[in-house]
Amino acid sequence: VKELFSSLGTECYVLELDQVDDGAKIQEVLLEITNQKTVPNIFVNKVHVGGCDQTFQAYQSGLLQKLLHEDSAYDYDLIVIGGGSGGLSCAKEAAILGKKVMVLDFVVPSPQGTCWGLGGTCVNVGCIPKKLMHQAALLGQALHDSRKFGWEYNQQVKHNWETMTKAIQNHIRSLNFGYGLSLREKAVAYVNSYGEFVEHHKIKATNKNGQETYYTAAQFVIATGERPRYLGIQGDKEYCITSDDLFSLPYCPGKTLVVGASYVALECAGFLAGFGLDVTVMVRSILLRGFDQEMAEKVGSYMEQHGVRFLWKFIPVMVQQLEKGSPGKLKVLAKSTEGTETIEEVYNTVLLAIGRDSCTRKIGLEKIGVKINEKSGKIPVNDVEQTNVPYVYAVGDILEGKPELTPVAVQSGKLLARRLFGASLEKIYHTLFWPLEWTVAGRENNTCYAKIICNKFDHDRVIGFHILGPNAGEVTQGFAAAMKCGLTKQLLDDTIGIHPTCGEVFTTLEITKSSGLDITQKGCG
Amino acid sequence: SASGSEEFNRPWNTEPVVREGLKHVSEGCVFIYCQVTDKPYWKDPNNDFRKNLKVTAVPTLLKYGTVGIFLCWNECLQANLVEILFSED
Repeated sequence: VKELFSSLGTECYVLELDQVDDGAKIQEVLLEITNQKTVPNIFVNKVHVGGCDQTFQAYQSGLLQKLLHEDSAYDYDLIVIGGGSGGLSCAKEAAILGKKVMVLDFVVPSPQGTCWGLGGTCVNVGCIPKKLMHQAALLGQALHDSRKFGWEYNQQVKHNWETMTKAIQNHIRSLNFGYGLSLREKAVAYVNSYGEFVEHHKIKATNKNGQETYYTAAQFVIATGERPRYLGIQGDKEYCITSDDLFSLPYCPGKTLVVGASYVALECAGFLAGFGLDVTVMVRSILLRGFDQEMAEKVGSYMEQHGVRFLWKFIPVMVQQLEKGSPGKLKVLAKSTEGTETIEEVYNTVLLAIGRDSCTRKIGLEKIGVKINEKSGKIPVNDVEQTNVPYVYAVGDILEGKPELTPVAVQSGKLLARRLFGASLEKIYHTLFWPLEWTVAGRENNTCYAKIICNKFDHDRVIGFHILGPNAGEVTQGFAAAMKCGLTKQLLDDTIGIHPTCGEVFTTLEITKSSGLDITQKGCG
Repeated sequence: SASGSEEFNRPWNTEPVVREGLKHVSEGCVFIYCQVTDKPYWKDPNNDFRKNLKVTAVPTLLKYGTVGIFLCWNECLQANLVEILFSED
């Protein structure tokens, strides 16, 4: 490596670790910051290149020569491709640290033509509008229950889809605006263009009018996120919608078929049914793959009891348009995955929620040699989110192998299966309960369910937490922090419950699954 | 934009910044400048500006018909932020 640099006419600063007193300590720190144990360990202009092999690779690809140029030769210190949750926080942080930063964000319109502003999936077509529609559905239920609690009014309760979506879109627009302001306030350059790599350190940015501009940067972050997957069957792109389109749909979707078994599919089916729409969910195999299957089954039965129709073990094979309209009429032909049965049904809307694909295949990564997982499209990175190309990093949904659930949550499903075969490592406490807000309303039959999983060999440490009930997210947050602090069953039992709440049920869990005792609780305590 | 008269306001001179920003508006855009009249009217919590337009500070530069797309106080003096507001379509 020393010869290589000398051949390039570059002077190196060489630190021989066996010739300094704290050589071993330095090697430890190097391992921490670069994930590399061996020497030589090479840095060029503050960028970690790697060991001997990687340095020669970088030289062969021309990358090393680029790195050797002064940073000031680039337009920016950092260019972030993708203005979503990952990209924006990264860009702002870099700007706060004094770097010259640019963010490129561009939304390729969905097959139905839907588009949106700065902020990425969460703000525009994910968490935010989903939670608002969920809230709208809950309010509808509250209105229906309110008469039992003594509220009197003469009007019939009905839901206006257009009023709701207009309000939701206005809220999203103000969030887009806020993001634009906060970038500008931190002097981050924002360009509404589609970014793709053309060569090392250089990207081409194409705006909606097709104009191309080129930018260079010392370092890049890819934060392009994902988009909904289509089925690859006749009529899917022409006639079906996805979550990209649902939250700004200008007309009520009417009788809807939701294809999928993901949380996106179930959440959408849930609030659509909450608005009083006729909703059917078509499931290929099981619900919520990767989640605790006992909980997934309870979610499924709860939804079935509340008027969501499930078509189990079917997949669509063709979608045809019978009538144009807002909404129109679509005919769906589906076949069973276990035999020859086929069904044909008519819906106003077909919503596909069968998964999301990473936006990594059309951004020129192959031009600079960034490796992606060919099958999934995800990008493998090391512990500092660096790709195989030293000056390129990645963040967000496109990362490969980074858990979106804590290891505990994923494990709890596996542990449950192992229990059936004998030696169990854990105890599972569970109970049914009736949340206060449902008791008077005559929904006693729809109980809620709480469950924790404890490791018998580690002081009954709580390693799994499950709740099926209202405000599940709010309840879970505090317990998640407690689990991080090493919560045990004893500590939980020693905690005084706040009464009357849903969360308090976790402080009085007594019945284990293995005991087989009846878990039905009556009244308080 | 809504702005108070000089007597009771800190003199925010937004005029040069706003005039510059108006060069970026799209065709067909209508710019309305109005004063919130006098201090007693402005202080009344039920005045039209507070109730109907949700304006709670002067000066305010807002996009009519939206909720949350606005700039107020010294934000109205920052040319780069004003440009973003005026480029909204």
